[in-house]
Order: sequence, then C-alpha cells, then structure tokens
Amino acid sequence: MKRAIDSVMDAIDIETYLVCSDPLEGKKLALQLGTELNLGEIDIMYQEFDGYGVRVRLRKYIYKPGNNYLYLENSSPGKGGVK
Amino acid sequence: MKKILCVPFDPVHDVGIKIIKAELDKHGHDTKLISPDLTPEAIVKIAASEQYDFILVSRTLGYGVAELLARFIDLLDAAGIREKTKIVIGGKPVTPELAAELGFDKGFGANSSMEEIVAYIEGREYTVSHQGLNRTKKDIVSKYDYSFNNPEIETLLSSIADKLIKWAEGKTSPGVERAKLREKIFNSGSQIEKDTLLEKYYKLCDPEIINANTKGQFIKGVRRVSEKELTDLKTFIETHNPVDPVRIQHADNHPLVFKFLGSGCPVMDITHAKVCERYGIDGFLVINPSWEARYEGLIEGCLTHENDGTITSFENIKLLRESLDTSTLLTVRAHRGLNTPETTLLAGLAGADLAKINLVYGSLGAGTDPVRLAVDGIETIKLAARFNMPFDIPGNDELSGVPAWKSLAGLLINVMIGKKLGAKPILKPLFCFGPHIVINGLMKDNYIDYNAAKIFALRSIVNSPIWPGEPIAFMTQSEERVQAANANSYHAALAAGLGVDVITVASTDEAYSRGPICITSRIDTIRAITDAYKFIGNASFKPTPQAGEYTKMLVEKITGVLRQVEAKDNLPEAIYAGLLGNQEDGAYPGTFGAGTVK
Repeated sequence: MKRAIDSVMDAIDIETYLVCSDPLEGKKLALQLGTELNLGEIDIMYQEFDGYGVRVRLRKYIYKPGNNYLYLENSSPGKGGVK
Repeated sequence: MKKILCVPFDPVHDVGIKIIKAELDKHGHDTKLISPDLTPEAIVKIAASEQYDFILVSRTLGYGVAELLARFIDLLDAAGIREKTKIVIGGKPVTPELAAELGFDKGFGANSSMEEIVAYIEGREYTVSHQGLNRTKKDIVSKYDYSFNNPEIETLLSSIADKLIKWAEGKTSPGVERAKLREKIFNSGSQIEKDTLLEKYYKLCDPEIINANTKGQFIKGVRRVSEKELTDLKTFIETHNPVDPVRIQHADNHPLVFKFLGSGCPVMDITHAKVCERYGIDGFLVINPSWEARYEGLIEGCLTHENDGTITSFENIKLLRESLDTSTLLTVRAHRGLNTPETTLLAGLAGADLAKINLVYGSLGAGTDPVRLAVDGIETIKLAARFNMPFDIPGNDELSGVPAWKSLAGLLINVMIGKKLGAKPILKPLFCFGPHIVINGLMKDNYIDYNAAKIFALRSIVNSPIWPGEPIAFMTQSEERVQAANANSYHAALAAGLGVDVITVASTDEAYSRGPICITSRIDTIRAITDAYKFIGNASFKPTPQAGEYTKMLVEKITGVLRQVEAKDNLPEAIYAGLLGNQEDGAYPGTFGAGTVK
C-alpha cells in the first residue's frame, strides 16, 4: 500500500501551541514532539512564548534538493499514481 | 426549466442561497425564495404546497444542526416530498460525504463552483477543467517608450552611457569570449569544429569547470540528473493537470506575479512551479548558486545541487522552459559574476523570456570587479537585445545600507545603456525595509510612503516598466506564517494600487534560511496576494504628504549622484569611487575577475 509520507512533496510543517513555563521548556517540548511523532529531528522555524505556552511552527524536511523524490516515482502509471 | 424552492434554513445567513437563486434565474429556472429562519414544519408545509423538482437548503453548521437537519429530512419523507423532489444542502463546511450522512441527495460547499451547481440542477455532467492554464503570455514592455520626463537626468544618463559604451569599445574579457565560443559551438554542425572550439573555451575556464565538464568531477553537492529522474518528472507533468486554474489578478491592470526558483534542484523547482502555475503565478526567476558566478566558465548538463541556487546551464534552463506552461514567463539571473554574457546567451538559446542584469549592483558587495562587469554587462545587454529578451534590473538597497537614491541612480544608468543598445530594460526598485531605511527612520510611520515615493520618483524621470521586488516585503517578514503572508499581501496591494507592471513575491518561509522553500509556503503567499488584489481592486492606499517630500528628495539626490557619476571618465571609475555605494553604506567594489579585461 502506498504510504502517505511518500506523497509529501518536500516537507511537513506542524503548527501548534504547547503549554509550558518558559521559552526553553517550549523549545525542548517542540523538539520532543518531532521524536514522539516519529519524525526524528525537526527544525523550529518560529517560536513565541506568551506566558502560557509557545506558539510554534515546526518543519521536517522529507527531501533535500537533489534527493530521489518518491512522489515522482509514484506518478508513473502502474504505481498507484494519478492517471 | 426546473422548479426550485430556495430555503435559507438559517437565522441570518442567506446570502449564499440568494446568489444561487439569482444564477438559476439567469438560466431560466423557476425559483422561489422563502424567508429565513422558518421552522422545519413551516418549510415542509410550503414545500408540499407545490410540486418542486429541487429544494435547495442553505445552512451554516453548528451544535445541534445535524439533528435539526435530520428531523427536516424525516418530515420531508413523511410528507412524501422526497420521492419526487431532490433535496440539496449548501453551506461553507458542507462536503458530499456530510450531505449524504445527513440524508441529502447532494451537497455543495466552499469549494463548489456555481457552474457545478447549475450543471447538477440541469442534469448535466460537471467536468472539472483540465484544459491547461488557458492564458496567454503577457508582454511587460511594449507599452513603454523609454522617453524621459526629466531633461537634466536624461542628459546626465545619456552622457554616462555614451562614455561607458565608448570606453568599452575594443575591450574584451574571458566572459565575453566564452559567450562567443559557446554560440559558435551551439551553431556548429561539425563535431570536429565543436571540439576545437571547446578546447578554446576550456582555456578560458577555471580548473573546477574543466574537471566537471571533462571528468565528471563536480563541485561538492552537484550531480547530474539521471535519465530516470527526467522520465519520472515528464510522467509527473503529463499525468497531472491544473484543476480550475486560478487567476491572481482581480483587475486586468493588476501586476503580474513572479516567484523565485532556485532550490538547487531543477526537478524540485519544476514540481513547485507546476503547482504555482495552477495558483496563478505568471512567471519565475531562476536564481543560480553564488559559486557559479565566481568561476570562469559554466558547467554543462542537466544538473542538481544540494544547496541554494539552481545551476543555470543550458540544459537546466531548457528543462525549466519546456516544463512550464507556454504562457509562463521565465527570467534568468545574470546580473553578477564572471559568466554574465554566456548565461544570457544560454537563456536566450533555451527560450527564456527575460534576463536579470544590473551592471552596478553586480559590481558591489561580494560581486564582480566593476571593469569586468562593465565590459561583460554591455555584451550581455547586446545579447538580451539580440534575443529580444527584456532585462530586469534589480535594486540593491536591501542587504547593505546603500540608500535608495544610489540604488535608483544605478537602475537608471542601466535603463539608458539598455535604451542605447536597443534592449528593453525594466526598473526593479525594491519594496523593502532595508538597513538605510531602518537607520534613518524612513518607514517609521508606515511602509507606504517611501515605497510609493520610489515609484513616483522613477515615473517622474522615465516612461519605463516598473517591477518592484525582489521580493516585495523583503526585510519585513518574520518566520511566523501569518505575518509573512500578510506582509506580502499588503505590499502586493500597494503595488497594485500604484499600477506597477510586475511584482516578485516571497513565500511564508522566506525568512527561514535553514532549508529550501516549500510548496505550502509558496501557496500561502499566492493565496494571500490573490485576496489582496481582490481587496484592493481598482482602489489604492493613500500615501501621506510625506510621500511627496520623499519623492522630491529622491529625485534631487538621484540627480546629485548622477552629476557625480557623469563627472567621472567612466562608470567603473564612479563605482570604484563609491559614488553608487561606498564602504560607509556597506557596499564596496567587487573583486572577482579583476585584471581580466583586455
């Protein structure tokens, strides 16, 4: 069965709000979230602590430029792609 | 003709059903609109009083609404209406699945088109458009004649350009010679002749380029795109179509919208570009890697690169050009570095529409030696003219602290050189929050006055196309997604109100520099700008009287700069003297290619 992650064009962005006590804890939680979601190492693109928690924008690159993009292989007829 | 009962089954929200009713009336159907907020029983009573083909119900969804709608369907069933009448629900969050779950025959939501609704009522099959972008390529330059409205500035520019062109006569450089050889290689039908010419070409190249082209020893992070990757890309393009392509411009005179391409990988660039085309992007600007500008010579072939900047080989530009819709414009950056003439030649040969050239900007900062770029730049502009490619001239007051009047003076010098060499230049003043602006508080009150003043000043000087960039909103964006989208949309609305020709826009991850731009972030700003254009229409933001003061100041200071430049023997001398950006401004003459002009 085709995996959804193989259809990602470049990256996965996650935007969420993490309740925490300070920006450092927010940063730790944000990075930990990537591990908990089995995304491995993720980047914190943006983080704003407001006293209650952090609003974060996180990014996990599935591909670097020049990688083999699985969504392209999946486009080929007979591989479950779009006809 | 169908008989249709239109039911605004909502206390207040009845605009959607009214719009649909008006459209169905236009198509000759017999519609009846009842008042909003009736009870289900009252509606069923009305529905039972006549024979309707359809009952269209509009309803926003909220707590308890599902139960209410289910009861409504039960009542219609009990009254025997469902057997003869199709019951349809519409509302922003409605999906076909939700409509079926609630017991309706059909549902239309936020993404449904009027055409789709009418087709359903009339029993026609609705087909989503797969007819390509259905647009024609836009012409940016033909309505401008490059006439000057400011006689003093015209005289100064004319003198500066004449002196430069005369100074450059008889001079050449490895860059100029390589472009000549490359063209001969391209046009030669003899392999023996090609090999001989290539040998001469390599004598003018750095070892890194020779090794890459002859031994396949590429610069770190560079490799050839495989045949399989090219085949997969072709299949991707052939098996996908833009569904219901969007037009960004709400009014016909709204600026065209360009985006950058330059992930490093032409395949990634193209897949992004195809998606962006569907969302209405009119053109792309290919940004090459910074190292490409520093080597003498260009790498050949279809190449991918792990870092910033897509290699502008002939094969890469051709692949981009052939993959884009024929209506999509393509411009190639050639404004700095040691390969400016050859890059423009290859762009022309590969079918690009424009080239990005600025003899002044390219000679400042980490750029090319002013003498070298003056010689190369003149050849480049001649090539642009020969290939009938307009050239866009980027401003340089964004990263260093060069004041806008020096940057604009540089743009105008390029315009006059272009005019004299028969090319079609395009002014690209920046819509940015550059260091000089920050330090001097020029945008302390608002972001409108100073940006508008740049446009007013240029318009008061010359009748030329204007293309703010690059990108608009530069230095005003954060990594926060909504703020970045907003910043782009406000600047786009300003550009539309000012009636400029084109804008280059960023993505909502522009300020994030630890990886390539992503497609979702590209779509973010396109959507924001589409909304902004709709918002502004043919209206405009009203600058404060300060914009008039800024305009006056800019024209005076541009004149002052040009007087100083004109007093020098030639343009490179003026650049070396810091007249168009000095060390205090954070700009200094480039050094690449120094001593190579003969």
